Amino acid sequence: MHTIYARINNVSALLSTCLMCLLGAIALTTYILTPHPTGKLDVASIQVFPGNAARYSRKQQEFAFLHFNISADLTPLFHWNTKQLFLYVSAEYTNQKGIHNDVVIWDRIVRRKEDANLTVAGRNKYVFREISSSFKGAEPAHYTLKYNVMPWVGPLTYGEAARTKTPVPFPESQELS
Amino acid sequence: MAIDLQKLTEGRIDFEGQKKVERISRSTLVTATVLSFLIGFILQSLRVTFAIFGISAIALLIVVVPPWPAYNRHPIQWLTPKVKEV
Repeated sequence: MHTIYARINNVSALLSTCLMCLLGAIALTTYILTPHPTGKLDVASIQVFPGNAARYSRKQQEFAFLHFNISADLTPLFHWNTKQLFLYVSAEYTNQKGIHNDVVIWDRIVRRKEDANLTVAGRNKYVFREISSSFKGAEPAHYTLKYNVMPWVGPLTYGEAARTKTPVPFPESQELS
Repeated sequence: MAIDLQKLTEGRIDFEGQKKVERISRSTLVTATVLSFLIGFILQSLRVTFAIFGISAIALLIVVVPPWPAYNRHPIQWLTPKVKEV
């Protein structure tokens, strides 16, 4: 502490240690504040059409088109350490071959608490296709609204906000007339 | 001229001043950390936390780094040199 250089050195070392402790404490508060918001998710309509796969134009592929309604209040998730929310609607089903599938068909990033009151009448944002080319014989699917809280400091936390009460079956694939 | 420049950039303070500076910096930083965390947590605002912490850090640097005269109030008493018999 005898020269200016020594004082700056000592103070900056202690400052960075204190800053790291502060950030660690902030990260730990993520585990203390754990709200569980709920909402509703309904499927308005679902249709399945055949088409050609994007890369291999000779390959037949079935595409599902989904319209859904969401209403959820996710404002409890916005605490001091929340930077943004990542919401996604995913379809969970078992296909004819017995393999469990989890397909994300819609997502949204919510950056402010004011935008966290959700009332959405949406359709699938991303192509909903079955990897084994056909939805035939697939079990009825459950559609869920899940969220991922992205903090400023600390670990990511996940949760499920809404789920369809009864599973929704896939209709027969129909040609566009 | 060169010695004046060296004295300016060194900014020496005496031992009592160094003890004071050590005490001030340690207590200020620990208090600032605890206070900024608690107030920010109560107000649920990360901005408040880092505002308090940042302002405390800058204020600490202003108080502690320059060689203020208050840190030079106890200069070292050197012994008078003994004249050596050749």
